[in-house]
Amino acid sequence: MRLRVALLVTSLLPFAATPVAHGQSSKVRLEGDWVRIDPDGVGSFGGLSGVIPPAQLLPGVSAGGRGDGRGRGGRGAPPNSGSGPNAEGVPYIVVAQPCAGGGPGRSNGALLVNPDSGGVHFIEHKDEVIFAGERGGVRHIYIDGRSHPNVWTPTAAGHSVGRYEGSTLVVETTGFSPGMVPGGGVRTAETRLLERFEMSPDGNRLTVTYTWDDPKVYQKPHVYRYYFERAPAIESKGMKVSYALEEWCDAGDPIEKQSIVPPKQIIK
Amino acid sequence: MKRWCVLASAIACLVLLPTSARSRVFGQEQRGTPDISGFWELSFDSRNVPRANLLPTITRAKLDVRAKKDAYAIRWCNLLGVPFIMDPGRPLDIRQGSTAIIIVPENSSPPRYLYTNRSAHITEEIFDPSTNGDSIGHWEGDTLVADTVGFHGDHGITAIPGGGYRTEKSHLVERYRLLKDGSILSVTFTWSDPTVFRTPHSYEFRYQRLPATYEPRQWLSCDPYDEDRAKFLESTPLPPKPAARAVSKE
Repeated sequence: MRLRVALLVTSLLPFAATPVAHGQSSKVRLEGDWVRIDPDGVGSFGGLSGVIPPAQLLPGVSAGGRGDGRGRGGRGAPPNSGSGPNAEGVPYIVVAQPCAGGGPGRSNGALLVNPDSGGVHFIEHKDEVIFAGERGGVRHIYIDGRSHPNVWTPTAAGHSVGRYEGSTLVVETTGFSPGMVPGGGVRTAETRLLERFEMSPDGNRLTVTYTWDDPKVYQKPHVYRYYFERAPAIESKGMKVSYALEEWCDAGDPIEKQSIVPPKQIIK
Repeated sequence: MKRWCVLASAIACLVLLPTSARSRVFGQEQRGTPDISGFWELSFDSRNVPRANLLPTITRAKLDVRAKKDAYAIRWCNLLGVPFIMDPGRPLDIRQGSTAIIIVPENSSPPRYLYTNRSAHITEEIFDPSTNGDSIGHWEGDTLVADTVGFHGDHGITAIPGGGYRTEKSHLVERYRLLKDGSILSVTFTWSDPTVFRTPHSYEFRYQRLPATYEPRQWLSCDPYDEDRAKFLESTPLPPKPAARAVSKE
């Protein structure tokens, strides 16, 4: 009998090892390297904001603008210093404060609540999912069952807890500092963001659905989607690999402020 | 009756198993290796750092130039990189995934990725040198061995604990091992660089595990355009010049 019980237990072990608690499929995983894509054919990174439906704000609530002020550009370009084009070899100063924005140059769309065109990376652990961007920002998404803290200092990324529904990671974030939301929305300390990180069956496409909700701000939840694909793998020493790049931006380097140096003009 | 008790006990064990099985599908525990994930911090007695045995060519003047570059990196909020972010003054969040182990500092520097899904470095023709370099990891029993090359020679803070600095020729081997029932994470760092060290330079940090409920501060801001901050940093004098023997005449 003991032998039979042992055999029964052994035969059941593989089922016990399946990820019942989180429902996370072992075949389709969020972990890895992703890049945001433009399936709507907008044609420019700035234009991606153009396909986001406008937020329906309550009367009296000021719109947050169409964009989010993210990116390498930093804090505003200075006004054009002169009339007409610069002389040959004289660069245009196009960014007043390059590499600004909460970090070494970047905060990446409120610390990846609104990821930009840089590569992003997920590492999945049983207690936490780390969401990191090449252009800055790291989000800690706790999936260990904790709730939002009672005491929290609002931040641009807020406080995120998540759970898996099948292979979809569902993340709820609260505790935002005041700021803008794509599509002309705004966020406050009371705003709640629900994100669904949903992968295609082949695991190569990621759709993130953002739902911003705040009864003091929105007439109805503000919903839009971003799309990502797996970062292209490159061939290295016979392996197909992808990896996180490092984007360097040196605020102390004057060249970060300028455009390309106008090349010599050859007029025939 | 006794048979059914045995059977019931066995099934009860299986019901309880998913708790540990959860981790199997997420991280390295899938392959029976330890899970070094957690929040880790260094304390005042966490560092065992002997003095590095530097080449005679590493003069005080060269070290001063490096010190100025490091000060510049702090002043302008540059990416900081390895080895600095392994001792950043705040806890590290380490998470072990199925393809990589990520090490996340709380300051505004990119995390490290120790890739466990490949056994070779990205070829030099492809990999752009970076402050963190290209790290690959594998397990030797209960020890995670991480191997890093591809460092940038100038970017970030390049100073190495114990003396010397990283260059594009630097090679770092780290050995991560849990001690005291997982309450301590020992990391032994060994740097070799034919342009800096006479012999490989090793030191050990012992990180203390923080409660699982700890929550890291998010991406501490660094504003290179804060004039008051800039004045504060730029008024910091360099350390006094020590006797030459202390640095280059080991």
